[in-house]
Amino acid sequence: MAEIRDVIIVGGGHNGLVTAFYLAKAGFKPLVLERRAQPGGAAITEEFHPGFRCSTLAHSAGPILPSILRDMQLTSHGLTLINPQVGVTALAPEGRALVLYNEVARAQAEIARFSEKDARQYPVFQQALEKIGRVISEALSLTPPLIDDPSAGDLWAMLQTGRNLRNLGKKDMYRLLRWGPMAVADLVAEFFENELLRSVVAARGIFGTGLGPWSAGSSLVLLIRSAGDPHPAGSAVFAVDGIGAITQAMAAAAKAAGAEIRANAEVKEISVQSGVATGVVLQSGEEIAARVIVSNADPRRTLLKLVDPIHLTPDFVMKLQHYRMPGTIAKVNLALSGLPKFTALGTGDPRDALLGRIHIGPEIDYLERAFDESKYGNYSEHPYLEATIPSLTDPSLAPAGKHVMSVCVHYAPFKLKSGDWSSQRDRLGNTVVKTLSEYAPNIAELVLDGQIITPQDLENTYGLTGGHIFHGELALDQFFTMRPLLNWARYHTPIEKLYLCGSGTHPGAGLTGGSGANAAREIAKELRR
Amino acid sequence: MASRSNGLKSKYDVIVIGGGHNGLTNAAYLARAGKKVLVLERRHVLGGAAVTEEVFPGFKFSVCSYVVSLLRPEIIRDLDLPRHGLEILPLDGTFTPMPNGDYLWRVNDHGKTRREIARHSKLDAEAYEEFGKAMQAMCRFVKPILSMVPPDPSTLNPRELMKLLFIGRRFQGLTSEDKYNQVQLMTMSAVDFLDEWFETDVLKATMSASGIIGTFLGVRSPGTAYVLLHHYMGEIDGAFRSWGFARGGTGAISNAIAEAAREAGAEIRTESPVAKILVQNNRAQGVVLSNGDEIEADVVSSGVDPRLTFVKFIEEDQLPGEFLEDVRRYKFRGSSGKVNIALDALPDFTCLPGPGAHLRGAISISPSVDYMEKAYDDAKYGNFSRHPYIDMVIPSLTDPSVAPPGKHVMSCFVQYAPYKLRPGLNWDDQREAFGNNVIDTISEYAPNLKNLIIHKQVLTPLDLEREFGLSEGNIFQGELSLEQLFFLRPVPGYAQFRTPIKNLYMCGSATHPGGGIMGAPGRLAALEILKDAGGAS
Repeated sequence: MAEIRDVIIVGGGHNGLVTAFYLAKAGFKPLVLERRAQPGGAAITEEFHPGFRCSTLAHSAGPILPSILRDMQLTSHGLTLINPQVGVTALAPEGRALVLYNEVARAQAEIARFSEKDARQYPVFQQALEKIGRVISEALSLTPPLIDDPSAGDLWAMLQTGRNLRNLGKKDMYRLLRWGPMAVADLVAEFFENELLRSVVAARGIFGTGLGPWSAGSSLVLLIRSAGDPHPAGSAVFAVDGIGAITQAMAAAAKAAGAEIRANAEVKEISVQSGVATGVVLQSGEEIAARVIVSNADPRRTLLKLVDPIHLTPDFVMKLQHYRMPGTIAKVNLALSGLPKFTALGTGDPRDALLGRIHIGPEIDYLERAFDESKYGNYSEHPYLEATIPSLTDPSLAPAGKHVMSVCVHYAPFKLKSGDWSSQRDRLGNTVVKTLSEYAPNIAELVLDGQIITPQDLENTYGLTGGHIFHGELALDQFFTMRPLLNWARYHTPIEKLYLCGSGTHPGAGLTGGSGANAAREIAKELRR
Repeated sequence: MASRSNGLKSKYDVIVIGGGHNGLTNAAYLARAGKKVLVLERRHVLGGAAVTEEVFPGFKFSVCSYVVSLLRPEIIRDLDLPRHGLEILPLDGTFTPMPNGDYLWRVNDHGKTRREIARHSKLDAEAYEEFGKAMQAMCRFVKPILSMVPPDPSTLNPRELMKLLFIGRRFQGLTSEDKYNQVQLMTMSAVDFLDEWFETDVLKATMSASGIIGTFLGVRSPGTAYVLLHHYMGEIDGAFRSWGFARGGTGAISNAIAEAAREAGAEIRTESPVAKILVQNNRAQGVVLSNGDEIEADVVSSGVDPRLTFVKFIEEDQLPGEFLEDVRRYKFRGSSGKVNIALDALPDFTCLPGPGAHLRGAISISPSVDYMEKAYDDAKYGNFSRHPYIDMVIPSLTDPSVAPPGKHVMSCFVQYAPYKLRPGLNWDDQREAFGNNVIDTISEYAPNLKNLIIHKQVLTPLDLEREFGLSEGNIFQGELSLEQLFFLRPVPGYAQFRTPIKNLYMCGSATHPGGGIMGAPGRLAALEILKDAGGAS
């Protein structure tokens, strides 16, 4: 092994690329090793049917942290974000649609058609989220303190957070303390009476998680998401050429800053000598040495697969095995010969309503029942769906007049009670189309082709252990100083010189780049030693 | 004190609303401090939900609460309860029959329990010991917090900050391992937490049960691990995790506390329902009974829940709107019912036939984690569980005084029974079906039960509300969910037993540290009342 690299980053997901960029900018020479043909991890665009391209997995951005957009100058690296004026449209089976525009006043007008009272409450809720979100976003950009012996810096940071809390004022501070552990179903009920509005807002607390709207702690998920985006039901953030364009621009920015990115370079093993990470071994057998190794892979894959657990204490291994990451989501991408007719949108041009995300899960109970199934290892017969039709805002994704529809399917438990996913794939696809048909009867005859990605595929093809899109369950006991494990939340690991930068670290949750940016800060300190 | 000035009127220093165990504890501590105390109980018997009643001739039932373990030792000491007739009889073990004809029978004898668990899993037998130790460490951490007035994190008052610091220090004092456990306990679901320790389904199921008692949560709901600990806190004669009966039924505890209060000079009236709390210029002045009598006092201490205290007893315009909003928002959501049965003889369990020691402890119908979770699923949509979790005891085996010779009383705690049934259903129509469903469920394990039933008393959440004044039938005067604990109980900013109205206090289970026959709220409230009165008297 001739040269010794500054830093190797295992995995070119969005967080890996963000870390690479910041480390390169800090004057180091990161080498990103991506297993697949293109970087991007779970934020990629692929052609799944001749002429039809789609955001294969994630179909709406976090949104990306403004600081990252700015620092990486993603727009000048070819990224064109699309922010449709509609965040999300919630469909009710009895043929009504609630169109939640980003503009609060317009959203209010739509809500008023369902409930005057809720229309009045909506801005109150929105402002509370904005205020609390600001405090949370500061905590999100923090390196979690070491609980065992907090450093002076940690204490200072905690003091700051404490001060920010106080500055919220008694009312909002208590709101934050009270809401955090609450069930999101209770939270929305405190503000709204209309079931459709309740469910579309509550959905934000459960998307991609193993929680139902009645699960305690789902409110915190909503609060964390509102930190970057105070739209009560969440806005829609797309990109020209799909979500993959975001990671393409990130890769370009990282390269421009001096990082090297190698595709088709799967890391087989992270070499450890007497407790210190020294380099990696590729599938090809090639060995590369580096001063620091950073893993964008999830904590379990990194420390129990890529690293030989022999280097870890049994206690740590046990705790990591208990880190919960059973996926609950599947993805269905449809190639459509035309735009589906949604009964709820009536005649006239429905496009406005379809520009953002489309929410199917009209009642809290509907969402909860969908969740119930997953507890016993079944997937929901009446799933909660979040669909997007990106070809409406970016026609280049499909041939003229045709469309692509991207559908996130809840709940699809990684472990099925009976049978395995390979035998369930088609049934899952049919369940989704059947559910969609209840809202857009003509959709079945428009389907030209479908790409069905089960939780099993998420693990096998995309390297998400347990099929968990967030590298680990979003639960009260797996946040902040506990993500992934208590006292191992500072992007470091029990293996010296081995760091984590993926969604399995604080703040995790969604396509924001937060984890990658925080990790880079800590790793730079290490490299400067 | 003001009361001295107008000697003519019968005026009290403190009126305590409600003669439940907390109200009585509150009164006892105040009387012992020399206050002139009057306790007003609506019913003909004292004790609130900690009451013994001869429901059927010769059969005495602990009608609601039926076992004791959380009663604070300092209260037993301070009030000298044994001298006033309190005698705790041990309740040994938990017997969990299984549908497959097997069973799990845990007793206080470590060796026995270890061998029993080993029948199901050697690994779990090992883990069980460790688990017990870990839980004890957790209890040691939490216990001082139970006897502490919650801090107000929103002020910069040094006294409050010291409390936070105290907790922080204690936490720092824990070993790294215990910190890990503690954090998990506060945030995880009972099942997720137990999954980290055990593999045997029935063991996890029956242990997780104590995580959901009195909550509207399932064993897989985050936050239930804490309630698990809450019930682990059980402490009799200093031994953790030991549960017991009071001789003469749970009411005997209330009566002993009442005796202590009377001895210290407190006056206690039954059948004296309060209708209103008198408030003038934001100051509690006394109460009005439903018979119209007005009784004045310098301080009113309410042992009933916030909904009764602030919505029923006080005019809306006398309370700040935001506070009232928070009170209305406070979650009760009763989720349990009670079936009390007078038996001609002992039930016979197929999996372990004959009368034996297994009938002397708790008998738990909690055969699997999915069974428990499905019971919860039913409740979420407004139905009582088709296959409920049932916790049974037969106190007459340990304390023959509660039933005629040869006969027995069996007390069945049943969850889930949601207070709010789905539209179209109401509890008065469902009571019969609910009771029968419980009997049927038990009969699956003890087929002879049906022929032994002499009498049966079915208490739905609605009955608990009507009869015992527990809003929405919540046995803890409000859900033990994370957002309603410690400095958030009952509502943010009023967790220190005080209220927006001067000289009006709360002393019931709706305040920190919450439900169970613990007495801590009553005691802590008394200490705060005395602190405030300090200068005056």
